[in-house]
Amino acid sequence: MQEYRTTRDGVRGERPLQAWFDVRKRNLGSWAFAINRLTGMGLIVYLVLHLIVLSTLLQGEQGWDKFLEIARSPFFLAFDIVLIFGILFHGLNGIRVALIGMGIGAKNHRSLFWVLMFIGAVLLVVSAWKVFTI
Amino acid sequence: MTSISILCLWLFTGYIMSNYHVVIIGGGGTGGALAHDLALRGLRVTLVERGEVTSGTTGRHHGLLHSGARYAVKDQESAIECIEENTILRKIAPGTFEENDGLFVAITDEDVEYSHAFIEGCAECGIPTQQLSKQEALRLEPNLTDDLILAVRIPDATMDAMRMPLRFFATAKKNGVDIKTYTEVLAIRKQGEAVTGVQVKDHTSGKVYDIGADLIVNAAGPWSGKVADMVGVEVPIRPSPGVMVAVRGRWCNMVINRLNTSSDGDIVVPQRGLSVIGTSSWVVDDPDNLGLPPDHIQAMYNHGTMMMPVLKNAPMRAAWSAARPLIGPRKADADTGRELSRTFKCFDHVDEGVEGFVTITGGKATTLRGMAEAAANVVCEKLGIEEPCRTREAVLLPHTAYYA
Amino acid sequence: MAERDVVFKVLRYKQGETVPHYDTFTVKTDENTTALVALQAIRRDDDPSLTLRHSCHHGSCGTCGMRINGEEQLSCVVNVQELGTPTVVVEPLQNAPLVSDLVVDMAPFFDRYTQPEMPYVRQSEFMPEADVPDGIGHYTRYENCLECGLCVSACPVMGSDASYLGPAAMAAAWRVVAEPRGSDPEFALNWADNEHGCWRCHVAYECTEVCPSDVNPAEAIMSLRGELTKRKFRRVFGLGK
Repeated sequence: MQEYRTTRDGVRGERPLQAWFDVRKRNLGSWAFAINRLTGMGLIVYLVLHLIVLSTLLQGEQGWDKFLEIARSPFFLAFDIVLIFGILFHGLNGIRVALIGMGIGAKNHRSLFWVLMFIGAVLLVVSAWKVFTI
Repeated sequence: MTSISILCLWLFTGYIMSNYHVVIIGGGGTGGALAHDLALRGLRVTLVERGEVTSGTTGRHHGLLHSGARYAVKDQESAIECIEENTILRKIAPGTFEENDGLFVAITDEDVEYSHAFIEGCAECGIPTQQLSKQEALRLEPNLTDDLILAVRIPDATMDAMRMPLRFFATAKKNGVDIKTYTEVLAIRKQGEAVTGVQVKDHTSGKVYDIGADLIVNAAGPWSGKVADMVGVEVPIRPSPGVMVAVRGRWCNMVINRLNTSSDGDIVVPQRGLSVIGTSSWVVDDPDNLGLPPDHIQAMYNHGTMMMPVLKNAPMRAAWSAARPLIGPRKADADTGRELSRTFKCFDHVDEGVEGFVTITGGKATTLRGMAEAAANVVCEKLGIEEPCRTREAVLLPHTAYYA
Repeated sequence: MAERDVVFKVLRYKQGETVPHYDTFTVKTDENTTALVALQAIRRDDDPSLTLRHSCHHGSCGTCGMRINGEEQLSCVVNVQELGTPTVVVEPLQNAPLVSDLVVDMAPFFDRYTQPEMPYVRQSEFMPEADVPDGIGHYTRYENCLECGLCVSACPVMGSDASYLGPAAMAAAWRVVAEPRGSDPEFALNWADNEHGCWRCHVAYECTEVCPSDVNPAEAIMSLRGELTKRKFRRVFGLGK
């Protein structure tokens, strides 16, 4: 591999966060990309929190029951919906990227996005209903 | 012993060759080709251009590699230059042209009348022609008008107005020419009668500095009058702009010309997915302020449509003006520029009391190499260098080498 | 002719300065004035030190790419009055070293672009019903790509991976695979097959959105992926190369 000159020029350095999340004047694909990054980071944070919460099991039954009480509060359940949104978006967008990468829907990536998002929306509504009624 | 004498000779010639420093003002096709030519003859060359290379007239033409047929009746000097250079450029810049040839189409009786003088003129200039019937021509170009009477095939081609000259710049740069873009000449330094260098401003940093020169070549095209003013000599140049219109859609593969005397909207040049209709002609005083007369845009559509009706509804991509550097009295009353010759001239201003200052101007994109050869001959003669021109054979680097 | 004054807010930077700033200029426009012509008027009438790249003025050379109101465009085909904004913000392309004002260094772009030997003239697909004149193999035309760098500027991945090959170069590489014309498709495929190549793309499709010349680099990158995936599968299952 040849070494390439980087884009660093002292004046405008690399600004990955801006490149990822500055969606002004950008199109659908950039929104999908930006939200994908956000949900990806969110899911990592969740995973860590999840492990921390599970570790309360080490404190015995009492600690776990106490947590369950909090987890059943409507406020906490709303967080579950956000979590489900993250999982659905990240997962379905991942499927979109994978499909396009295999040449499926490369010409109509927008339609593919909206079809998958429609499926996601339906699943989200169903899960929300389940979360609040169980 | 032999090797030492060879070494001495090498050092000596090296000294001679690098001793002379030529500054070229103007980074258009002419300047680029001249830099390439002089570099091959072993001179040290610096080229200054106030903007990007090919940003003046060079990049803006309709992209026709002339066969010369356009001038075969009225301006045979230009026609002969064109066909010679056409042949050379295809050889030294392979892969640069859409080599689809061109057609001159006759759609009125007057055009047919003109075709006799045209074919005769082409023959006199050495331009190969092939006369085609209406049916034959329509098979090659189905979008031609049904009014077509006959057509003549000639070796036109499409060039990329920027990338073809860029190959000269790329090769010159590789051969050691110092190309300084965004560098504007503020003044030309003189000692007595001889010019000694230029004062320039680098617009990328704001720095003003001097570049010493044994000889300065003014290759500023339509701006060469302004450059000549700096040393107080006269260059008879008329900036003569033309309007061109690019429409979406490649409506022909060959270059389509009107088989008649040169007039507005007499050519359609296909380029990528566009078709370029050209060209009108008038004259201005300031090459930086050309304007874009709306009636000229409409005229391009109207005339283009006469040859190819499909152009009538083709959506416009762009309309623009470009200034030809035609040779003619600078403040004359000429009002269209059509009557001015398309050939080029090289002026040594020594007669006007300035030593070491040469102007090359006029001409057209197709003849850039020939213009450069003529100017380089003058430069070398003035500096007493006896090196032959090598640009007829030297194959040019690809255009991408200029930036990479 | 509807003349109107339009304010241009132009990014300014000269070598040696630490940060760029913006200058504002007021330009008289008519219904045909393009952003490029307006900028040239600024250079002519207000500030000769304004630097910008331009050449063909009809969307064919690809030198005048810049960000106009935040969108990558060829300034020569942007009609100022049709933009509809009272102030037009003009900035240089992103993801390329800034030289001065609106000029960026295209060397990194061309360093990548010239890697596989990429032919520049292709067979014309226009008007297939037409005959070809004697002595000519087939009608030819230039490749679509204008080498303008708009796609590289708009790509969100270029901002975080300086070694990313980028949309334009990979689109050209795919052209070599799709239609070799004497070049080596194997080389082009291998060239794009690395973590800074076609696998780095995140399918934002911005390159295709901003392309002024119908190149569709995103689809080309995906096609490279598809072709490479096919080959890798074959290799894994021992079906030969």
